[in-house]
Amino acid sequence: MSLPPQGSAVWGRLASGGLSRLQTSHLGTQMLIKRLELSPSPPAAKATEIYNYFVKWERSLANEVAQLNRL
Amino acid sequence: MKSPNSIASDGTPINGLLPVDAVIDLIKAGASLSLAGRKAALDRLPAGRWIAGTSPYFMTADGGRIIDDDVLFVTDLGSIGEVTFATYDADQLERISGDAPDSGLALAVIPAGSRCHTEFAQNAASYPMAFLRPTVGWISGYDLAHPDESAYAYDGQVATAYEDRVAVAHITIPESESPVIEIVNIFAPDGGDVIRFEEAGFTPEWCLVGGERKRFADYVVERGREGGDLPLVGDFGGARVNASLKTVDAQAGTVELYAPVFAGVDYSFAAPVGDYADGFRKALETQPFDGAVWSCNCILNFLFGQLEGVAIGGVAGPVTFGEVAYQLLNQTMVVIRKD
Repeated sequence: MSLPPQGSAVWGRLASGGLSRLQTSHLGTQMLIKRLELSPSPPAAKATEIYNYFVKWERSLANEVAQLNRL
Repeated sequence: MKSPNSIASDGTPINGLLPVDAVIDLIKAGASLSLAGRKAALDRLPAGRWIAGTSPYFMTADGGRIIDDDVLFVTDLGSIGEVTFATYDADQLERISGDAPDSGLALAVIPAGSRCHTEFAQNAASYPMAFLRPTVGWISGYDLAHPDESAYAYDGQVATAYEDRVAVAHITIPESESPVIEIVNIFAPDGGDVIRFEEAGFTPEWCLVGGERKRFADYVVERGREGGDLPLVGDFGGARVNASLKTVDAQAGTVELYAPVFAGVDYSFAAPVGDYADGFRKALETQPFDGAVWSCNCILNFLFGQLEGVAIGGVAGPVTFGEVAYQLLNQTMVVIRKD
């Protein structure tokens, strides 16, 4: 499965709490989830950060990418 | 692939103990190195392409070792990727990841007890590039038999030791070989109380247990955890991140930790671990080590687990006063692999 485009509503849903439902054992992703949960940044900024993160690590996150549309 | 535990003379990457004179030869030959050892040995080295930190403690294929000043632990960074070197003071730490290559990572050495140590521990996860350009590394230490000693990080480019600067190797890795950063944590929550803290810090005065506000020192004593062998285990998105107890003064009502706790994170005390070495062996049996290039483990595991002379498997590396995988960790083994 390929990544949704940056304009997809998926990223906003993830930034608004959906990311906490992601099932992952990838250390960086787990720590990013906590960082974003604790961050006071607005959802739009979080959505951009999540998108950029998935673009960067897409190759290592096949299981996580497969979950994105369900979150 | 041959285990990276072994010192190679057959073309496989070096990741092990070498005599100081051999290290000097490698530096003079232009090798890009990450080094660790006693200060007396590191002070002998010429300027070159290296970073280093002080520690006399190591895990090797044959077991834990406390070394003298005739050997150093050497990791050949040139076998991992293209390397550049830098140092940063406590006000520049977000540049560790900010200056890192788009494809690769930053390998950092931070002196224990320094302002850099404190600043990094409290803020690393919030640096803008922290999760796009990962930082791994270790907190340098000293021989605990000589508690008056200090920890140092070395900038090999000028062969200089620093008590409060971070030495960094920025390693560019081809995009086809993504770095994989993994941890081995033998500690798990004990299934009892969930503990929360009101603010971040190394010396939490108060905690919330089941909604009840308690003085943390009193709670530690109430739980019988003042021995310090069992860390707090924090839930970071499912990752188990430890904060270990350094001192507990029940009379003064103070607790000092080796890593900060954070507000908004659920903590528990770790369940007892009977045999640390066996715990690591079992955890490492399930861990893939193909492409492993660097590792470190914690001094508290070395001491409480009585690992001197005891082999646990995995990858050789320094035994440290704190571990770094994106942020500061305690009582954890960190491994870098190339995928």
